[in-house]
Amino acid sequence: MKLAPLVGIALAAAPVAADPLRLRADALATTASPAGLLVLEADGALRSGMSAEAVVWMAGDRTSGEGASGDVLVIAVQAQTKTGFARGKVGRFVSSLGALRPVHVDGGALRLRLPKRFDAEVFAGMPVSPAGFIDGRSWDWIAGGRVARRLGDYGSVGVGYAQRRDAGRLATEELGLDAGAAIDKRHDLGARLAYDLVTPGLAEVGVSASRRTGGVRTELYARHRSPSHLLPATSLFSVIGDVPSQRAGTVITWRAAPRLDLIADLAARRVDDEYGEELVGRARLRLDPRGASVVGGELRRSGGGLSAWTGVRALARIALPHAFAIATELELVIPDEDRGRGGVWPWGLVATTWERSDWQAAVAVEASASPEYRHRIDALFQLSRRWSVK
Amino acid sequence: MKRAVGALLCVALVACAGILGLTRPASTQFPHRAHVIAGVTCTKCHQGVEAGGPGLHLPDDASCLTCHAKPHDTRSCLGCHVPPGRIEALVEAKQHLIFDHAKHLKGEAQGNCMRCHVGVADGDARMRPVMATCFKCHGEAQSARKCDGCHKDLAEDGSLPQSHLAHDGNWVRDHGMRAASSGDLCETCHKQSFCADCHGQTVPTLTSRRRLADPFSASAHRAGFSARHSLEARADPGACATCHQPDKCIACHTAKQVAGDTRATPHPRGWVGLTSAENLHGREARRDPAACASCHGGAGEKLCVQCHAVGGVGGTPHPPGWSSRQPLSAMPCRLCHPIGAR
Repeated sequence: MKLAPLVGIALAAAPVAADPLRLRADALATTASPAGLLVLEADGALRSGMSAEAVVWMAGDRTSGEGASGDVLVIAVQAQTKTGFARGKVGRFVSSLGALRPVHVDGGALRLRLPKRFDAEVFAGMPVSPAGFIDGRSWDWIAGGRVARRLGDYGSVGVGYAQRRDAGRLATEELGLDAGAAIDKRHDLGARLAYDLVTPGLAEVGVSASRRTGGVRTELYARHRSPSHLLPATSLFSVIGDVPSQRAGTVITWRAAPRLDLIADLAARRVDDEYGEELVGRARLRLDPRGASVVGGELRRSGGGLSAWTGVRALARIALPHAFAIATELELVIPDEDRGRGGVWPWGLVATTWERSDWQAAVAVEASASPEYRHRIDALFQLSRRWSVK
Repeated sequence: MKRAVGALLCVALVACAGILGLTRPASTQFPHRAHVIAGVTCTKCHQGVEAGGPGLHLPDDASCLTCHAKPHDTRSCLGCHVPPGRIEALVEAKQHLIFDHAKHLKGEAQGNCMRCHVGVADGDARMRPVMATCFKCHGEAQSARKCDGCHKDLAEDGSLPQSHLAHDGNWVRDHGMRAASSGDLCETCHKQSFCADCHGQTVPTLTSRRRLADPFSASAHRAGFSARHSLEARADPGACATCHQPDKCIACHTAKQVAGDTRATPHPRGWVGLTSAENLHGREARRDPAACASCHGGAGEKLCVQCHAVGGVGGTPHPPGWSSRQPLSAMPCRLCHPIGAR
């Protein structure tokens, strides 16, 4: 019942809409639990420069015995000035500021475009927790800001800061540096760095640069991450040390033929004193000019100690007459070490879908064997409907 | 033998050429440049374009026959002299874009089509202007990220950028690195629900994102991820914590009896013991503390404190040189450091 006012607010926006108001309802039922999930989504422009968006969900799980549950994922009103000088939003949304980690908040955000190609962004609010939207909660808050200088058409260099308190206690204090730019038509790069200020140390660093020549795109990337610095400082596990992991590699995407894409992702990683390889090869072939029917395959090798495994995957989507399609995905994972979890973990899904104008329906069967289940078969039913209201 | 293999390969290549979409572009490319050099004006073929309107303003056979008196074929001219898919792309562009030729020809272009269709001068491969050409005059729309001046509904039509920020390679993994400095650009296409689907804390995944019809759609948790998630997490420590709160795992782990107040344990032998060789848990916890916190967070931390509190048999869990700005009276320090103990 706590959702009723929010659904009311979302629906009340309908008569005010000048531009199309979009509504969408998605229902998913599975035999796994058995469980059902209903998602209602609405968005539209209230007037020029002002828009609103809301997503609410309701779920029922017969096995949990808790009855129906539901919550709001997004409910936000956004507004911007005619020239784009200022842009703000209030409500429940995901705030993402430069290199700082994205955070789901109930609050507000404001972005200003300043002279000399400078931008300033601030946000503040209460971090969202699954059961804490309307129920009583302790005084948690998060606030942050970022100042950036735009480079060229699409790039910028920025510095951000955020602080989070859980029940009044300092949980996160982070400094982020980010940079990205399209150097020219063929080259672009991106980099981010997050520094933990509570337990001083690097939380995350990433660099990526790519070059595009003809049908080939080559990307080089490297990343460093310290898991202990990603935990809230209020967690006991944030005090047991700092063993970072690193990964570096290259991704090559090649349009080998007009309908054939080949992707190779070759990387090496280090975790503590353990080294491993991460190799992925992927191919995708469109069977018609518009890509309505596609077949693909993937090979993957993830090496290094107890977590090593090899996998193969086959995918296909075949368009059929009368707006029907068949989609299938098969995966086979072979861990290097059995350890009593089974030597092969197969997974497969076969779906029949139908899509016409604003309706979409799908029926699927999912089968798998895993460390958790010796064998398991589930059926899934999905129904979607979209409306556009002028 | 070599000849036979070679011939077989040639036959196979020819057979595959159709499937791979290999065609001879030169034969189907319309020679715009040659027509311009011959003095044919744009509006002679694209009749009515100066008046604007909803049509595509493509030449029909009759307009071609005003000059080409002897067609070599009875088929429609555009059926062969336009690359496959080009007209469909034009129809799609017309559906998704707000554009009026009449307004542009009367305005800055002053009747000069080549002001925007610069491809005519370069050759004939790309006739439709790229966005950078639009921004030569509409620079303010770019700086203000006002896409709705040209794009009817960017969030819905599914357009992808073609050059930088192209969503190829391993975009799910790399998007954070690329989006860090271009957040406002991302917002021009992606609604909040798109970000909240993964980064939101109140629902595991949106039904709309469970694309049963499209197994090729990008996702962080593809196919049999639930079976291999422990391998993935171990190979990339901290990866889960970049999106998920550590306590997000415990409900599922408790239900599956791999954590909480159950006898089942996911830990191997020698996890906790009296000698260092039997104490695997310390090393593993340092590698990925978030994995421990996913089950032993909150009240579960007391399990650790039993041995690792000041004076306890487990000794200090801190590494040499460890420091924090937290006072001892704050969480989590006070769990192990009672008032007065250091």
